[in-house]
Formats: sequence, structure tokens, C-alpha cells
Amino acid sequence: MRLWRLAGAALIVAAVIAVYHLALAVNPTTVAVTLLLAVLGISAFWGLAEALLASALGVLGFNYYFLPPVGTLTIQDPQNWVALGAFLVTAVTASQLSERARRREAEADARRVESERLYELGQAMMPGGSSASTIRQFVQKAPQVLGCAGAAFCYLPANEVVRSGPETKVVSDTELMLAAEAEDVKLDAAAGLALAPVRFGARSLGSLALVGSSVSEHVLRSIAHLAAISIEKARAMEEASHAEAARQSEALKAALLDSLAHDIKTPLTSIKAAVTSLLGAAGPEQHELLSIIDEEADRLNRLAAEVIEMARIEAGKLHLEKEPVEAAELIAEALAGFTAPLRERPVAVEIGEKLPEAYADREFMVQVVKQFIENALKYTPAGTPIRVSAQAKGGKIVIGVADRGAGVEENERLRIFDKFYRGRRHRFQVQGTGMGLAIAKGIVEAHGERIWVENEPGGGSAFYFSLPTGGMR
Amino acid sequence: MSAGKILVVDDDPQIRRVMKATLVSHHYEVVEARTGEEALEAVPQELPNLVLLDMNMPGMDGLETCRTLRAGSEIPVIILSVRNTERDKVAALDAGADDYVTKPFGIEELLARIRAALRRSPTAPEGGPHSFTAPGLEIDFDARTVRARGKDARLTPKEFELLRYLVAHAGKAVTHRELLQAVWGPDYGDEPEYLRVFVNQVRKKIEANPAHPKRIVTEPWVGYRFVE
Repeated sequence: MRLWRLAGAALIVAAVIAVYHLALAVNPTTVAVTLLLAVLGISAFWGLAEALLASALGVLGFNYYFLPPVGTLTIQDPQNWVALGAFLVTAVTASQLSERARRREAEADARRVESERLYELGQAMMPGGSSASTIRQFVQKAPQVLGCAGAAFCYLPANEVVRSGPETKVVSDTELMLAAEAEDVKLDAAAGLALAPVRFGARSLGSLALVGSSVSEHVLRSIAHLAAISIEKARAMEEASHAEAARQSEALKAALLDSLAHDIKTPLTSIKAAVTSLLGAAGPEQHELLSIIDEEADRLNRLAAEVIEMARIEAGKLHLEKEPVEAAELIAEALAGFTAPLRERPVAVEIGEKLPEAYADREFMVQVVKQFIENALKYTPAGTPIRVSAQAKGGKIVIGVADRGAGVEENERLRIFDKFYRGRRHRFQVQGTGMGLAIAKGIVEAHGERIWVENEPGGGSAFYFSLPTGGMR
Repeated sequence: MSAGKILVVDDDPQIRRVMKATLVSHHYEVVEARTGEEALEAVPQELPNLVLLDMNMPGMDGLETCRTLRAGSEIPVIILSVRNTERDKVAALDAGADDYVTKPFGIEELLARIRAALRRSPTAPEGGPHSFTAPGLEIDFDARTVRARGKDARLTPKEFELLRYLVAHAGKAVTHRELLQAVWGPDYGDEPEYLRVFVNQVRKKIEANPAHPKRIVTEPWVGYRFVE
């Protein structure tokens, strides 16, 4: 190809000289300018080597045929040396300039092709719904788009290597792992292998390998960048959709709970109303049996209420209406719910002096105090005293219920607040669901506060929870 | 003789069934409605003495039905609901209900509440005042009319009873329990939220500034006091 072009260049110069020498009688300046134009044309279209050959031939031919003494390569007039020199310098310089312009154009062309390929690759990876599918898209599309034999991707977060096919076996999993740690891209021209670490910011996502490719370093870096951005974008979208799905599932759960509460309590309402109606007119024999139905309906109702409340706490659906409340008021309201069972118990209420107001949901907090009192009533012998207290401690208000029972064993102190956990000693003696304290814990923790149990110095246990003071608002 | 006509509004047929059987055996006449819309149609036609209204119904719910009913009638309404939070009770009372019973309930409790709601003293109890007059407030207990700041105030029967009891004990602190039992009946006493709602309603109707009441003042920890 090149030889043909060199011959062509020589032919053009020869043709110009022949035309002027044989057919037209013109002055040497016209000949020189025409030759110069020919050299420029050659360099613009064919390249530097062709232009240089044309220049050399042009100088020789010009000298031989047009500069006196014509027919020799000698020059008589020194002025003609200058003309010849000027011709040569102009021809060579112009050739070089035009060659440079041509090279630039070729480079720009190559860049354009690379950009187009990167864009195509980016497009191919775009619709990936997840990071995994984005990586699959990459290894499948990269060989087509970049014109290489195969591609492999090592994704560190999932600890997996994805390959376009067996042709990529020339690079091992270990090599890919090592490439992920590498500082920069690595090109192995002999093996036709290109390795690049894939990073998003400072975070390493893994590495990619192109087999049988001839990409340049900077294109390889761009590919790695593009892959990192696409994968991160897919991952972020994936996370966002997970979060949205989780939120919808929570909302669904809460709606389900409300309808469950309604669905369980509706038949219980019919049962309870019917049985209590019968109880009013029943003889002693039926009375016993109807009482069992009545009590068990109540038990089912409590159980359903606890399950629903526990689920609501776990779904984070506890709706708190915080307001300033006095600890003494909470305790009084809780005690009011136990008038009959507390009659056989000495109950002491100790309220610290000048207690600041607490800031909490009154109804839920009364429920917690009630739960503590109920536990004390359930798990300690009849007639033993109960002490309910409220004190200010470390900027908080601490409410406690202490009993004179057997206390809580060391290894049960944390588990006692777990759902369904029942104290070892009482598991089979006292009726209960094991949810009361778990619900109390959920309520206290929803307020961002603490619940715990201590053993009393003189025997017995004391349950406490803290409350923020009004100043926390 | 019928003890009264009761409209039972509930979307659950079993509950309507058991209510009907029980109430009829206690000499009440029972009419049923399955939805809030049906209830609103039934009230002017059947003219019941009391409405038992389920809170949670498809379509128009209990609260909305109660509010609509209240706009044109002073018929006693007892809301029945599976929800037992104070918020729900207050919402029901605010909607104009006279009472709130949590499902499931014992029938004796419901019957007691029905009797309390139906117990309307048409004349002043003996020893009570016949009227009260002060600048900006005139009450005629016999005619059951109240004029506050020159305008007629329309009080519901419960609100009127509440005001009557407080005025009869003007200057003295009336405890929550005493007031509840006087106005609602002997089975009441542990429903301070009822008082909060009803006292607020009365204050809105007779006080110049309900947020800073001058007539019905709160006695912290105890109850309320009427200032002459």
C-alpha cells in the first residue's frame, strides 16, 4: 500500500516536471510553486514519507531541468541556491504540519470510537436492576462492544467471579482478587490480557479482566470507572427499593394487626355477651360451666390483646403521645386498677420530694407500672408487702415496684424481659403468656429509656424503669 | 311493657343476634342496622330511645355516624369498640357519644350502661336549685335552658346534668367519682376521661374563655368546682 503511494508521489512529481519541461514554457518560479502545491497535496492525503520523497525528487528535478545550467545538477547562480533551499524547507515543514494534523484527526477518530464503545457499554449495563445483573450485563456485552475475546469480573462484596465464558480461564480467580488490590490497571500485551481494579471512591468493588483485547490504559481505566459507577448505581437503587418494600410491608403489617384485633375480638364479643347473659339466669350447676366459658373468653381476649400489642411494638408502630406527667399521678392511676387484689397486701408508696414532671405517654406508662404491680401480685406470696417508689436520679425519674418474694436469679435478670420467657420457678405454677414484661420493655424502650430488675437487699426483687424529665422536651 | 327501643348498629350478624336475644329478654324492643347509613335512616323511622353503635364498620364508621346523628338529635348513643385506648374513648365522646364500652363486654355491664343512658330526669332532683343567675350566665333548671353572655347555649342532656350537679354544689370541690356517679350512674367512677371531655364541652358553651375557665375550675387531684 505504502509502496504504491510512494510510487504515486514520484509519478506526480515526474508528471509536473514533464509537463512544464516538454509542453509549457514557464519561468522557474511557477514550476517551484506548482511542485510545492503537489508536495502539500501529497502530504495532506498520503503522509510524511510520501511528501518527503516528493520533496527530494522535486528538488532534484527542478535543479536538473529548470535551473541553469539546465541538464546538470550544478547551480551557477548562488541566488538559485537560496530558492532551492527555500523550496526544500517549505516543502518539508508543510509536510510535517499537514502530517501532524492528519495524525491528530486519526487520534480524535480513535477517541471517538472509544467513547462510543464506552457509551455503548454503559448503555448495556444501564438497565441492570441489581448489582449482580449489572455485572452479568458487563461481562456479556464487553467482548461484543470492545471487540475482545472475553471478559471477567470479580465482585468483592458478593465474593464472586463472573465470566463471559471459558476463554477467560487464562486469568484465575486469585489473579482477579489480587488485581482488585492493585494500585492501577495492568496491561499484558503478550497475553492480550488487561486487568483493572474497580473502585468507587476509596471503596474497592473488585476487578475486571479483558481477554484478547487491545485497549489502551486510559480506556481500561475508563471502563473500570464506568463499571464502578454502574454497579454502585444499581446497588443504591436496589437498596432504595428494598427500603421501600420494607416500609410497605411494615404498613401492611400494621393494617393487618388492626384488622386481626377486630377479627378476633368480634367473635369474642358475641361469646362473652351470650355467656354473661346466660350466667345471669343460670342455676348453680350451669353457673360453674358458664363461668369457665366466660373466664376463658376473657383469657383469650387478653392473649389476643397482648399478641397484637407485642406485634405492634415489634413493628415499631407504637404511637406515643408524650406529655408532661407526674410520677405520683402515674402510680395512683396504676394502683387504682387493682383495688380488690391489693386489699390483702400492705402497699407502701414512696414519692421523692420535689420530683420534676416526667415527659412521656401517660397511658403507656401507667400500663408499665400496672405490669410491675401485677407481676409482684402474681409471683410473690399472698400478704407480703409491695413498695412502689418514684425518685429523681441522674436527670431522670425512676419508678420502681419492689416485692418481698424470692427475687430473680442472676442468670434470669436479662431474659426475664424476653418475649415468652417465663421464670424457671413459676413456669408451671402461675398463669401467664410471658409477654407482659416484654411489652413493658417495648414501651419503655420506645421512649428511649431503660428497664431493669434488681434484687432487694433484704430479699425480693425490684423492677425499675426510667423516664425523661419534662426538661427533655 | 317495653323498657325502651334500642337500635343495634353492627356489621357483624352474630353480635346483632346475641344483642337482640339478650336485650329482648330484658324487655327492650330491638331494631337492627348493619351500617352507619342504615342507622341514620332507621333513627327517624323507628324513633329508638337509644343507639348501640359499633365503632368499626365498613363505609361510614361509628364516629362519623355518631357525629351525623348528633347534629340532629339528642338520642343517647353508646359506642361499642374493640379498641380500648383513652384516645379512642375521647374521640368517641368528642363525637357526641354518651358512653363507650370496650368489646368484649359482660352483658351486665352493658345493661347497666344502657339503664344509665336511658335514665333522664325530666325534673330537677329534690333539693336542687331551680335557677342560677350571674352576670353573663343564666340557667333555668326547670325549663332546661342556658343563656351564656346573652346567647342561648344548647347543652346535651349529659352536659346539662353535669352543670346542674356542679351548680348545686357551687363553691365546693366535687370529686371525679362523685360527679361521674351523679351524672352517669352508680356503676361509674373510673372514667375521668369522660369528665375531661364533657367539662370541656360545657366550658366551651358557658365560659368566656374556655382555656382559662372562671366558672368551672379544675381542682387538681380532686375534681371540679363551680364558682358563683
